[in-house]
Amino acid sequence: MIEFKNVSKVYSTGTEAVHNATFTIEKGEFAFLVGSSGSGKSTLIKLILKEEEASSGNIVINGRDITFLKSKRVPFLRRSMGVVFQDFRLLPDKTVYENVAFAMYIVKATPKHIRRQVPMVLSLVGLSDKAKCYPHELSGGEQQRVAIARALVNNPSMIIADEPTGNLDPETAWDIMNLLNEINARGTTIVMATHARDIVDKMKKRVIQIDKGIIVRDDRKGGYRSEI
Amino acid sequence: MRYNGFTYTIGEGFRNIFKNTKSSVGSIITMVCTMILFGLSFAIGINVNSILEQVQMKQGMEVFIWDEVTVEQRDRFENEIKSLDGVNTVTYKNKQQALESMKERMPGNSDLWAGYEGENNIFPASFIVTLTDLEKTKDVITEVERIGAKIATEGRSKEVDLEIDETTIHDSLVKEIRNDDDVVSTLLAIANGIKVAIGVFFAGLLVVSVAIISNTIRLTVHARRKEISIMKYVGATNSFIRGPFIVEGIIIGLIAAIISIVIVGVVYDVVIVKVEASHILQQMSVTLTKFMEIAKPVSLIYCVLGMGVGIVGSMLSMNKYLEV
Repeated sequence: MIEFKNVSKVYSTGTEAVHNATFTIEKGEFAFLVGSSGSGKSTLIKLILKEEEASSGNIVINGRDITFLKSKRVPFLRRSMGVVFQDFRLLPDKTVYENVAFAMYIVKATPKHIRRQVPMVLSLVGLSDKAKCYPHELSGGEQQRVAIARALVNNPSMIIADEPTGNLDPETAWDIMNLLNEINARGTTIVMATHARDIVDKMKKRVIQIDKGIIVRDDRKGGYRSEI
Repeated sequence: MRYNGFTYTIGEGFRNIFKNTKSSVGSIITMVCTMILFGLSFAIGINVNSILEQVQMKQGMEVFIWDEVTVEQRDRFENEIKSLDGVNTVTYKNKQQALESMKERMPGNSDLWAGYEGENNIFPASFIVTLTDLEKTKDVITEVERIGAKIATEGRSKEVDLEIDETTIHDSLVKEIRNDDDVVSTLLAIANGIKVAIGVFFAGLLVVSVAIISNTIRLTVHARRKEISIMKYVGATNSFIRGPFIVEGIIIGLIAAIISIVIVGVVYDVVIVKVEASHILQQMSVTLTKFMEIAKPVSLIYCVLGMGVGIVGSMLSMNKYLEV
């Protein structure tokens, strides 16, 4: 599903953000990427999204080597993954419904398909009654649900979440985690970069820890800090 | 049926304009200003050209011919001059008309002129040749002299056989060619100067307007960079993202073009009436171009320019934001 082989990333400033990372995340897995700020988490996410080019090594996604993917093909790679951000990134002048439908317009889905799919995803994230609201009328947790609905609407094989609970209070954060867990249970791979120690500890999922660009730990069912 | 995104692109383009009324109006005003400058320089250029052409048409030369030239020779000569490259009109002025025009120039002395009537008319007949292009003056003179000599010498052997008085036989039909060199060269210099100046002005304006418009659209795009980055993450292709912005650019360009056509059209005809009333133009007896005559090319240029600048402007300003 996602395979990193000896991947390194050196930015033009000379900083080596990722050094020789090797790991494989299988289909249907739920994996946390943990590490302090500046550890290289975000760079890993950017490498998966092909927002950044790897300096060396190979990245294989869904059986396809994307290391030398042409920039023209990048949009099609991104359609196979849903992305969720810490700051939600919703379009402020579009309603909840339109925000989700937007992702389908972009992949040129038929209007009929859009009319069927959007309410289904909104009900999955529990926002059927908010379809006509604008993002500013929603709470943070609700906005993040919209973002998850948008990520899900094109049936991606994986969801990449970069600190999705970072802006939420603990209770709402757990709502989001339960939702992600539910989505994972339906077969979608989830890769989530996070700082939230208690979430990682309680979820008992795979944990990949990165420190100063080096993968220092990869536990099947770990906590935020492994007990040595 | 697959949804082709066309209606989405057009719809979003229109929506964008109304969503960002301020910056759209800003772009339109900027574009209208540049286009009016364009229109004015174009109008000046067209009129200067047309005035010069009209003046040129009146300029030319007077080709005097010998009294002994026969009617056949004269007709042949006239036809051959007419067929020359650069010749506009050829008008024959017989001896009587030559005398009449001399009388007009120096009116009053009727006693004096009486002595030149009929047999005593010393003024030669001539062809007044006007040119379409003053640059060809020298060539036309050379050609006229050549034709004159050709016709004259062809006829010679016959006339010798007929024992016509040798003193009346000339090597050429042409007695003299008169043209005003100074006027010609001054006019040419002015014409070329104005053409160059307007060309430079045009090129400058084009660069400036593309820069201004692409900058204006850059601001619009910058204001929507968040939206663009979201589209990129959701997997939109670059052409899909560009679409609505290009539509927006085209619409803004077309609106600006239409406004400019109306403004330039109204202002132009008002100004033209004033200018035509001026003494200099009346003395030169030239007419100016009416807006209706240039409306077609001006509208076409405006629409193409508006759309072109809109497209180029939005493309230029978007590239930076597509690299996510």
